Amino acid sequence: MRRYWLCAFTLFASASWADLPSDPLGSPLWAYNIERYLGQEVTVVVDERVGLSVPDFAEDSTQVPLAVNLREFPHKVNKVVTWVDMNPVPHLFTANSTDGQLKLVSLNFRVQQASSVRAAVLDEQGVWHIDSGYVDAAGGGCTAPREVLSNSDWESEFGTLKSGLFSDRGNTRIKASLLHPMDSGMVGNVPAFFVGDVEVRNESSDNLLLTMTLAESAAENPMFVFEFEGGIPHLSIHMKDNNGYQFEGAIGEASP
Amino acid sequence: MSRLRSHHRNIAWLVAVLFWALAFSSGTGASGKSYSLEATPVAEGVWVVVGSTDNFSKANGGNILNTGFIETGEGVVVIDTGPSRRYGEEFRALIESHTSEPIVKVLITHHHPDHAFGSQAFEPNTLYMLDESASLLEQDGEAFSDNMYRMIGDWMRGTEVTVPMNRVQPGLLSLGNRQLRLIAMQGHTGADLVVLDETSGALFASDMVFFNRALTTPQTPGVALWRSEIRQLAQLPFSLVVPGHGPVIRDDRAFLQMIDYLTWLDDVLAGSAARGLSASEVIDTAIPERFSEVEGARYELVRTVSHLYADYEKRALNRH
Ligand SMILES: [Zn+2]
Repeated sequence: MRRYWLCAFTLFASASWADLPSDPLGSPLWAYNIERYLGQEVTVVVDERVGLSVPDFAEDSTQVPLAVNLREFPHKVNKVVTWVDMNPVPHLFTANSTDGQLKLVSLNFRVQQASSVRAAVLDEQGVWHIDSGYVDAAGGGCTAPREVLSNSDWESEFGTLKSGLFSDRGNTRIKASLLHPMDSGMVGNVPAFFVGDVEVRNESSDNLLLTMTLAESAAENPMFVFEFEGGIPHLSIHMKDNNGYQFEGAIGEASP
Repeated sequence: MSRLRSHHRNIAWLVAVLFWALAFSSGTGASGKSYSLEATPVAEGVWVVVGSTDNFSKANGGNILNTGFIETGEGVVVIDTGPSRRYGEEFRALIESHTSEPIVKVLITHHHPDHAFGSQAFEPNTLYMLDESASLLEQDGEAFSDNMYRMIGDWMRGTEVTVPMNRVQPGLLSLGNRQLRLIAMQGHTGADLVVLDETSGALFASDMVFFNRALTTPQTPGVALWRSEIRQLAQLPFSLVVPGHGPVIRDDRAFLQMIDYLTWLDDVLAGSAARGLSASEVIDTAIPERFSEVEGARYELVRTVSHLYADYEKRALNRH
């Protein structure tokens, strides 16, 4: 019964959209989530040069690493959208590369059960390039209660922002870790409490390099990595959560 | 209406399949499962039961480790009890088919399920463990058990977490014609018992040593500490090494491989953190050709990055 329903659903979704390429992983949610996160009647191509990387299995379903490595991507990058098909709310993040120079973006996520994972990149011609991965998982990462620290550490550690600047083959890389519960609002009576917005700036020119919105699939204590083309000696990162807390740091001179 | 009816039809069909499956399994299936354990004599009065070097699976029932037993003239000392009650029962029967001495001490080397979950098959007053290992088993046992049921399924039937009632102290244990040296280490789980039979030179290193099988890190306090303890083990007067996982070996190659592998892991994690790499990039690190004999290296690297890399990363970042 369920299977019939899913088939009918898939037929319906693809019938309304003749040009959508078929899903390399055969997920029934392919068309549905593309429409949900990229929009209707958009132009989509399957493209491995998007460079999505996720592990084959989640050792810890509350902390699964993801990277989108765009070094082989031949177009300008306008936007990167990622989602985890089988999560209660699939969306992980949307990153806007304001100057098109984004070369890598990485963030840890939660997984509720084994799932396909997608990264879609919008190029300068308005075409979405999608790469897919698959993570096996025992699951429960979205609804697992957070391990509460036994002492008062959490209060004093909350909001701790650490960062580093690195240079790699002429590009500039920033890594930042924030201690934040990132409560999605999906666990029991715990209200939503999460960082929704992230910005990265070039401190010297004050140009905005990247804006990012995070969604429910983002993991507790987010670890961000961004790589931009070329050398940028001074960067800053700024984050804001839904309770009005702000976290920011300026990062100087990339280490060799 | 029609949806409901077809639902009922599906359930009826499912029930029929289940009955068929049960009827089948009671004849030849689940209850006929056997680990087919074999005891290999490695020295006078010393036997090892060698498992595979695979991951847990429904095919191997968790028989992926090495257990052993030693005759002392005044009773048998058993080292580890295996992954399930069924393994424990078969292991005990195997021991009793090789010796007429009673089992007097069962030493559980650490709290991991593959080593500690066969304990129900032995007399409770013969079970021994390090104090810290017993606390860890109490803390993690149920979660391990859930995970084991998921991974090996029916092989776990009837298995309950059993925390040994006795504690073992590091030091010399004289029993009959044997002198056993019991050594407490920390590298693998924070509380790891190593047993050297000084009489034969058989060193039961348990999971302090993996040989030709990638080491596992979910509870390690750190790879540097682990490596320093391997150097201590290499100084012991052994004639053969029984690793927790992998083949028995009569020279120091298992120690050399462990030191090499732990050094490589530490370098990969520290070097990647210093370059600002994301965890996703680290799990793709090339595994050196010299570890081509090490079973499961890629799989365990993915796990190790999950267990340990965040600490290396934090040390490589500056606080604001
Ligand atoms: Zn172990």
